[in-house]
Amino acid sequence: MTTNLPPLQPTVGHLDTAPSLTEERVVHRGQRLSRRRLYTRRFLRNRGAVAGLVILALLILFAIAGPMLASYTYTDVDFTNLTSAPSSQHWFGTNGTGNDTFAQTTHGLQRSMIIGVVVSALTTVIAAFVGAAAAYLGGTAEKAILGIVHFLLVVPSFLLLALISQKAGGDWKVLILVLTAIGWVYGARVVWSLATSLREREYVQAARFMGVSSLRIVLRHLIPNIGSLLIVSFTLGVVATVQAETGLSYLGFGVKQPDVSLGSLLGDGAATITSAPWLFYFPATMLTLLTVSMALIGDGLRDALDPMSYSVGRA
Amino acid sequence: MGAALVARYLLRRSLGWLFMIVVATNVTYFLANFFLDPRANYLQLRPPRTPEQISRSLAQYNLGRDIPLLDRWWHWFSDIVVHWNWGYSPVGESVNSQISFRVGVSAQLMLGSLILSTLIGIGLAVYTAARQYRFADRFYQGLSIITLNVPVVVASLAVVLLAITFNQSVGSTWLFVAGAQSPTVTGFWPLLADRVRHLILPTISLTVITYAGYHLLQRSLLLDNINSDYVRLARAKGLTRQAAIRRHGLRTSLIPVATTVAFAIPALFTGAVITETIFAWQGMGQYFYQTISKNDIHGAVAVAAFGALMTAISAILADIAVVALDPRVRVS
Repeated sequence: MTTNLPPLQPTVGHLDTAPSLTEERVVHRGQRLSRRRLYTRRFLRNRGAVAGLVILALLILFAIAGPMLASYTYTDVDFTNLTSAPSSQHWFGTNGTGNDTFAQTTHGLQRSMIIGVVVSALTTVIAAFVGAAAAYLGGTAEKAILGIVHFLLVVPSFLLLALISQKAGGDWKVLILVLTAIGWVYGARVVWSLATSLREREYVQAARFMGVSSLRIVLRHLIPNIGSLLIVSFTLGVVATVQAETGLSYLGFGVKQPDVSLGSLLGDGAATITSAPWLFYFPATMLTLLTVSMALIGDGLRDALDPMSYSVGRA
Repeated sequence: MGAALVARYLLRRSLGWLFMIVVATNVTYFLANFFLDPRANYLQLRPPRTPEQISRSLAQYNLGRDIPLLDRWWHWFSDIVVHWNWGYSPVGESVNSQISFRVGVSAQLMLGSLILSTLIGIGLAVYTAARQYRFADRFYQGLSIITLNVPVVVASLAVVLLAITFNQSVGSTWLFVAGAQSPTVTGFWPLLADRVRHLILPTISLTVITYAGYHLLQRSLLLDNINSDYVRLARAKGLTRQAAIRRHGLRTSLIPVATTVAFAIPALFTGAVITETIFAWQGMGQYFYQTISKNDIHGAVAVAAFGALMTAISAILADIAVVALDPRVRVS
């Protein structure tokens, strides 16, 4: 037993030489990559993921630069152009009340993106913390948290979303809160099931016996080890959130006038789909590009971060 | 594992789910009472009603605001337990009759797309897994990633747009964009044909958005199994590669897909909100939308209860499917 224990008092010289040893090894092997470069290389090898990244970058650029280029804001009304087709004056045409569709689309894209990213980031953080804490704490705390999670999975979440955001009167900040409050549940269940296998690992046991606090173990040992899953679930969470937001806003339960999102624009355009198809085409294209590009990036990240995956070649 | 053991296991699971459904439904009742106010429905009426008139007409449907919430809750809850009466909408329509009629309408839509998307998804998965990383595989995978992530609204409206273009080029309304049937058609065969023509578009749009999930999941599961010993043994016995994949690889990798399909049923019943709204299909999804926008508390709660029941049924179905398909699973 005693022979396996490390020396109680490591000498100072020992500590000094340790980093230089590893440095030397890296230099000698030459082709050994840092983790970040490895992931970048694997990600860039996936053509779909790169295409997704390029599309997303263009969309972000469009959402930011679009309102600066346009000569109208999304609330401006042009009474001389009601439901007019795309022209040099109104690049994407106008709707029935004379709003410029280009300005509305760029603003709606911004809105949908912000909602998607913020909600997904918040839900990922909450899901990671709650799921990992439930797994680590065990016992009554675990049972209670899982009970709440399972219960929330049974409650039809879309109904709750609609109920609450209906009352909120179309404020996008409230929508973010509501989508977050409902959205973390499934993620927490997944994180919990992964973390239950992690909590038995030696490094977690070692940290516990060293007297590290529960909070610190969850934050420093459990969550970083499911980091790759969290990154992927963040990107795919953006897709899911944008879809949910679009559905709610389309039905009139989400973002409402005078604010616009891509979903509420589609809701307006649906009624005139044959007589004024541009009201459908432009928001629909932006929305599809947004969700598909995020999904491609998520897939690329999953393959790049998964050590077992060879779908993008070795190394 | 005896049949009695399975029955006891299922009974225990069912009781647990029943408890969850009852709690979820009651919580939704209080939430709906908090967020929906049926008095708003009367405010736009002409001639305008006085507050007393409004509360009197709401009180007869157990929706009166001046009655304490707990009293209303007890009346509502005991009526369900004793008479299986789920209450009335603010204008006096019975929730029971609405739901019993709409479940059938939704089921027509759901069954077709569920069968189609499962068959297409699994079929494509077998086809592409046998050709991993070749052109066909890449092509269908790309297609599935796109259709999986196209928002429901966009997919459904695109189907509508295509159908209208098709109708215009044919010169008559061959594909119906709205409703479940035409009011004037009579006779068994004409009625059947009419219903099918109404069903085509919503079924297509539901299938397009759901098949891809099964395709991608089944493909990756099949690829995990395709190089396993028992598939290689089947090849060594003389089966063709296709037959070995179909009969041996597919069978074991069907289990997670079966679970997913089972869990998709409640989502299709209440989650087809947008599809049903766009195609003016009077099913559960549209009812869900209507109850909330018309402040119909009892209707909304009944939809929630129905959704929870569907989740429970599919969870139990998924359990049964796993036990039936996987000989390694033992009930505990």
